[in-house]
Amino acid sequence: MGLKWYTARRVAWAGVVAGVILTVTFVLLELAPDSQLASVQFQAAARGGSADAAAEAYARRRGLDGPLWERYVDYLANLATGDWGWSDTRSQPVGEAILTALPYSLMYTVPAVIASTALGISIGLYSAFNQYTKTDYAATFVAFFGISVPNFWFGILLLLVFAVHLGWVPVLFDAELARTHTFSLANARQLALPVFVLGTSAVAGTMRYTRAEALEYVRATFVKAARAKGVSERRILTRHVLRPTLVPLSTILVGDLLGVVLSASYLVEVVFGIPGLGRLSLEAIRRQDTALVLGTTLVPVFVAVVGNLLQDLAYAVLDPRIDYGDR
Amino acid sequence: MPSGTSLDDCRPTLRGRSRRSFLSLLGLGGAAALAGCSAPESDGTVAEPVEYVEGTATGTRTLNFLSVDDNPAVNRVQLALDGAYAVTPEQEIFPLWADISTDEGRVYTVELRDNLEWGAEYGQMTAEDWIYTITEVFQADPNWAGFPNTGDWRQNGEPIPVEKTGRRSFEIQLQSVDPAFPLRPVMWGAFCMPKALIEQYRPGGDQAGLQQDEEVQTLTYAGNLGPYRFERWERESEFVAVRNDEYYLREVDGVPDEWRDAPYFDSYTYQVVPEGSSRLSALRSGELTATDVPETRVEQLEGVDGIDVKVFPQAFMTSLIYNQRSNGSFYEALREPAVRRALAHAVDKEHIVDDVLRGYGNVAHTFQPTFSQWYADDEVTEYGVGDTYGHERARELLESALDPTPYRYDGDRVVDEDDEQVTLDLVFVQGSQAVQTTAQLVAQEYDAVGLDVEITGKEYGTLVEQHVFNSWQGDGDPPWNAGPYNGGPRDGSVSQDPWDLILGVTFNTYPRTPSATRGFTIERGGINFYGYVPETDFGSLFETATGTVDETERGETLAEIFGALSAEQPFNFLNMGVKIVGYDSAVRGPEEVFGYTWNRNTWRLDSA
Repeated sequence: MGLKWYTARRVAWAGVVAGVILTVTFVLLELAPDSQLASVQFQAAARGGSADAAAEAYARRRGLDGPLWERYVDYLANLATGDWGWSDTRSQPVGEAILTALPYSLMYTVPAVIASTALGISIGLYSAFNQYTKTDYAATFVAFFGISVPNFWFGILLLLVFAVHLGWVPVLFDAELARTHTFSLANARQLALPVFVLGTSAVAGTMRYTRAEALEYVRATFVKAARAKGVSERRILTRHVLRPTLVPLSTILVGDLLGVVLSASYLVEVVFGIPGLGRLSLEAIRRQDTALVLGTTLVPVFVAVVGNLLQDLAYAVLDPRIDYGDR
Repeated sequence: MPSGTSLDDCRPTLRGRSRRSFLSLLGLGGAAALAGCSAPESDGTVAEPVEYVEGTATGTRTLNFLSVDDNPAVNRVQLALDGAYAVTPEQEIFPLWADISTDEGRVYTVELRDNLEWGAEYGQMTAEDWIYTITEVFQADPNWAGFPNTGDWRQNGEPIPVEKTGRRSFEIQLQSVDPAFPLRPVMWGAFCMPKALIEQYRPGGDQAGLQQDEEVQTLTYAGNLGPYRFERWERESEFVAVRNDEYYLREVDGVPDEWRDAPYFDSYTYQVVPEGSSRLSALRSGELTATDVPETRVEQLEGVDGIDVKVFPQAFMTSLIYNQRSNGSFYEALREPAVRRALAHAVDKEHIVDDVLRGYGNVAHTFQPTFSQWYADDEVTEYGVGDTYGHERARELLESALDPTPYRYDGDRVVDEDDEQVTLDLVFVQGSQAVQTTAQLVAQEYDAVGLDVEITGKEYGTLVEQHVFNSWQGDGDPPWNAGPYNGGPRDGSVSQDPWDLILGVTFNTYPRTPSATRGFTIERGGINFYGYVPETDFGSLFETATGTVDETERGETLAEIFGALSAEQPFNFLNMGVKIVGYDSAVRGPEEVFGYTWNRNTWRLDSA
């Protein structure tokens, strides 16, 4: 009952948080200057027409021709019925736009997150067990390089080397190929660089956190006791060091995932021309497509709220001392 | 396209599209042929699909031309819908769906070809379709479809009458003579939709329904009306159209030979590549056939095998705009033509073109480009080049020009009536390095003649909202109001925030229909946000120019207008822009002239 009640309250709270974020986003979009409107009016006036009539036509076709509160209530009512609205900058329903873009993002973020998590934890543990050795220094260098190198620049550089000069991979992302031949070698080729760029930035953080956390336990008394009792190094690594290390690490994994999906993917998708969620939300903001901005805002809100909930629940699984029964 | 083989099936190996990219992927191409992904021709050689892939920074938002007419939308729709007629660089009408003619320049007759067929079983395109589209969409009141250019189909606020004169012909009855009407973007390039399609939404004014209509979204109603058929549209990724074998121009007598077999590409793709460096990389690797090139990157492509860079003159002008409205800090001076002429002496236009734009632009002296047939060398006064550029000369002229104003020279600096140094606010549009560098250069040049300049970059929408829009601040109603850009007389209608100079808001100079510049040059013009009150009676001159069918009289009047503008310097005409495009060197067809895309359906790869 306790855990269920805790979970239900967290989910309800998530609804409140989502509502507040949607409202703030809606109002901010309304207040932002609209470059497209300015262009449309300027063009109409330059052609000898009426700038006001052009503004009215623009508002009409963008669905901006009612009072703010009315549009907001309509939007919430539609949202409650599962209708996320119509994206007038893509001429398709918002739900369809997100569902179209999501697979493209998953195609490179999932391999990047899995690879960077596995590699990051492995290298971090190795570094902790081999502190201040040459391999530790090498791993540290790789980590700092991954954190420091700007994704945007790194992506362009890799494209020049591997696509233009060596011709190993294509420069352009072929969305049709990705859609129709998702698990093909050709798709893997075009995803190799985005996965690598995203992976290098994500692996660094995971590796450093893992190393730091694992160092706490490498010399812990219970690890020494285990060694003294003749427990194998492999068992010490997986049961006595890795498991307690994962508790705080699970916190940063959610943050990492969000960082990858929300921020790094913008740059990666722009450089590699991938029509994924990052570009979808970026273009929606740039073009002030209210329905699409709100739709794409809901996705990271969902990831953040649910991710944090899962992370809290994971604590209880990973560490038996944590219990939500009385909360 | 290879017969009997789907492009999708071969896609992994046919990724490189142009001739050059196929060569670079020769090994993979051979593998594809072995796998049966290329069709052998009669002589045993393998024919690859000839594909034209154009890289663009952004995609289109819709294919519904009734609601949006921006370049991305029009470029894509034009692949499937030719439009009424084209205009050649020599300003001649090239009939596509229709020809347009007139006797005296007031009533125009549009005659449609007899083999124009809609798709989706809408039958033949008739005058009825056009009349309905014009009256029920372009001229509809209220504007239920959100048509962006309602002003095009109205004169003095009234709809332009259109009347059916036959099954395939109709008349456009203007209120007054307008010899340039066919060159205005009204019928030129105009699209049409089947009456039966629009009728589904017209009664209820269902704009959303029209916008979301599947046939509108996929151009299935296009039939044989364009060189390509819609194939697919992956939002923010690619728009693909494939060769239309039913293209109506193939069965038309009297068209030039190159049009009879057009188009020469099996498919035409707009590929969205948001990042400029990635677009250029794709051009170098042969994955793109063409893409725009910024002036800062041209050097990198010069001498690259397989790439040709072409430069096309454009009609967009960059000017240094002076605030002559009463919220400027130097407006009393900027209202004086003599002051504006003096300031024009202070800015080196050739330096801007040669060094900031790296030679990719042309110096401007009036509201027309030099390639315009209405540009008269002998009427135009040049400033800011050769002997008419120099700080000493500018200071001399400015010193005397400031006499009737509250400003004067104190030593080598310009001061106001309180003996305070004059500092001008220069606001520029962010996003272009060239504009920013020009702003810095202008600040240096003005400093050399005694004027301090503070420069601020703003995003376009913000700049327009804060500095360009202006409204009446005086008592009561304004004596007149020409819209949000010109809310009334310059003493009472001012922008939200003060400014003195604006850079980066470009003006179209309309070299085909130069009387369209009227709104920029008369006191009550719809674009006159800078508060210019001309000394010359441009209103009357424009009336003469638009109202005569006598080409000589028209030419002389326009020459007088553009000569007077160069002398009055309502703003400092700095330069005319150019469009730089990098092509696969196998592309044949694009000529480096203004309006070069009019015949893009006849372009080809030299191997095709």
